[in-house]
Amino acid sequence: MDLRYSDADREFRARARDWLAGNIPNSRRPPGGSAAAQFDRDWQRKLHDHGWAGIAWPKEYGGLGLTGLQQVIWYEELARAGAPHHINTTYVALMHAGPTLIARGTEQHKAFHLPRILSGEALWCQGFSEPNAGSDLAALRTRGEIDGDHIVVTGSKMWTTDAQYADYQELLIRTDPQSQRHKGLTWLICDMRSPGIEVTPIRTMLQDEHVNSVFYDEVRIPIGNVVGEIGQGWSTALATLSFERGLGFIGDQLELYERVCRAIDLAGKVRLEDGRRAIEDDGIAQRLAALKADTIAIRAMTLADIAESDRTGMPGPKGSMMKLLVTTTHKALSEVVGDIMGWSFLEFDGDRSNNPWTYEYLWSWVFSIAGGTNEIQREITADRVLGLPKAR
Amino acid sequence: MYLAPEGDEIEIADAAADFLAQKMPIDRLHKPGAADMSETLRELLGEMGWFGLAVPAERGGSGLSPVEHALFFREVGRQCGPVDLLAQALAANAAQDTGLRQSIISGSRGVALMVADGDGYRLFGSDHADLALIVTRERAQLHPLEQAALESRAALDPANSLRVADALPDAVDGTSGETIWRLGELGAAAMLVGLAEAALDLIVEYAKVREAFGRPIGAYQAVRHTCADMAVRIEAARSQLWFAAAALKEGRGDAGAHLDAAKHLANEAGMACADSNIQLHGGIGVSEEHDAHLLLKHAMLLSRLFGSKRSLLARLLEARLED
Repeated sequence: MDLRYSDADREFRARARDWLAGNIPNSRRPPGGSAAAQFDRDWQRKLHDHGWAGIAWPKEYGGLGLTGLQQVIWYEELARAGAPHHINTTYVALMHAGPTLIARGTEQHKAFHLPRILSGEALWCQGFSEPNAGSDLAALRTRGEIDGDHIVVTGSKMWTTDAQYADYQELLIRTDPQSQRHKGLTWLICDMRSPGIEVTPIRTMLQDEHVNSVFYDEVRIPIGNVVGEIGQGWSTALATLSFERGLGFIGDQLELYERVCRAIDLAGKVRLEDGRRAIEDDGIAQRLAALKADTIAIRAMTLADIAESDRTGMPGPKGSMMKLLVTTTHKALSEVVGDIMGWSFLEFDGDRSNNPWTYEYLWSWVFSIAGGTNEIQREITADRVLGLPKAR
Repeated sequence: MYLAPEGDEIEIADAAADFLAQKMPIDRLHKPGAADMSETLRELLGEMGWFGLAVPAERGGSGLSPVEHALFFREVGRQCGPVDLLAQALAANAAQDTGLRQSIISGSRGVALMVADGDGYRLFGSDHADLALIVTRERAQLHPLEQAALESRAALDPANSLRVADALPDAVDGTSGETIWRLGELGAAAMLVGLAEAALDLIVEYAKVREAFGRPIGAYQAVRHTCADMAVRIEAARSQLWFAAAALKEGRGDAGAHLDAAKHLANEAGMACADSNIQLHGGIGVSEEHDAHLLLKHAMLLSRLFGSKRSLLARLLEARLED
């Protein structure tokens, strides 16, 4: 057991901190729309051009080939520097589409897509959930018929984040019409500019349109775009989900500590109705301190996980537990800030930059539902970590 | 960077687990007169060198570190070990007199744990202990007990007896500084993590075999989700415990902050898991013959020792971390 960083780790941190200090975008990220997507692409392009893209991706696929621990250091430095939030329109491409292609794609898939992902040229979205297949993903019904060297896709997907900006999609469909549940599924790379695709935004409680319905009307996708085997899509999808649940929230995990410290600073300034500073209220002070302890532990848990997977080469089974802890801590922090801010917490124009704490409060439901609801994460923990009898 | 037991650390933890399961199993607490560390147990533990794990070799100890200390006390916590066992190990680190220190490390003299309470004192430990250890963040002192006027009180926690005193004879040995407190805080946090793990193990095993409405209760989401929440608390508390132990070992500047976070999370995990374990067991969970109440009552004592919720949170609000 040790906490020592290697010389290479320390040198990497110093170099990252130094570069970030002079290169964080001066302009604010636009609140939404294609201007926001362009902002994200530009930032990723800049990271790529200066050698900061794909920290832990293998060198042969254009990454830096560094360790998981160095990736943690990178996210810590991003949070410290106040860099653009890593859950943006480049997120799906970088955090799970790319890693899925590295693990399961053909050499042609990798050669074509990975450089475009790292440079910010290609944005991706995830076509898994459907109107009648959310938590119960294996109930999905969007179908694909094999027609020569193409698969013809018809059906609909739902809750697809950033589909309107994405160039490609991780598309999970049913290619065997006789199949049940996890069998007969196929994982495809779908070009979002294909004829027959229609994207309709769904307005959310955050007053934005970041999620969408996507409709497919006889969309022709080359068979060469299958990742894994036809009919074995569930296995590829599990790989995608393991990346999403494993490291997908690493930025938030490490940033939460900084955000608690900012909330404590805020509580030292804001006055309550009775004239005292918020931090002088025992209830608020205790909640903030307890959240600080939780975020310190989240960091320890992250480092423990990363060090373990650097050693074994395998992501641990703890991603679901991490997501439960991070999302509940995130919401509890937003709630205490709401109590500190009082009336001003009720001002909201939908712009993350203008009302950051209220935005985060509303976002906390996205966080605890997207990528597998907290209830599903508890089920996974009960099954795979505790070995309890199956509920289903 | 590695935040889990490895190599020799695993061997030490396994050896401690085996030894304690044989000599100090939790079910001892269902028999009368089982409170505190018996003379026999004390001498056995001393023979094996468990009290001197973190004592430097040149001072007669094993010359190991806070990491091994934490690994050992996690196993002690799993068996609901008495807090005078922790006092004995802390006294081995605190005593300056060579002869006294050797007698504590070997287990030939016994130490009880004493805490100040208002103008008086509370003592947790056996009649056979002739020294009381009082630890604050500023100093650790050993007081002789022969002349002390002690009055017995009924104790909630079957793992430790309770006596009170209005005054104490002068200290005969001790040391200044925060080192002993930190070993105490780490040890108590480790015991709470072990205790929480024991609670989760009990309910997971029970949920696999106890049936209701024709299915094992572990197949119902009301039970599964509560167990998952217990597991999350434990995972966080255990990760932070290892971080704090390694931070102490390496002398990091922010070790105190990590330790306070570890104790706070261990307090919360110990209490919450002991609570849920009783609730999910149903009726049998409140029976005296079951272990579930033992874990709860001991967690109530441990979560008040070496940093209670209020004092830890006040410190954490100001804490600053390094990279």
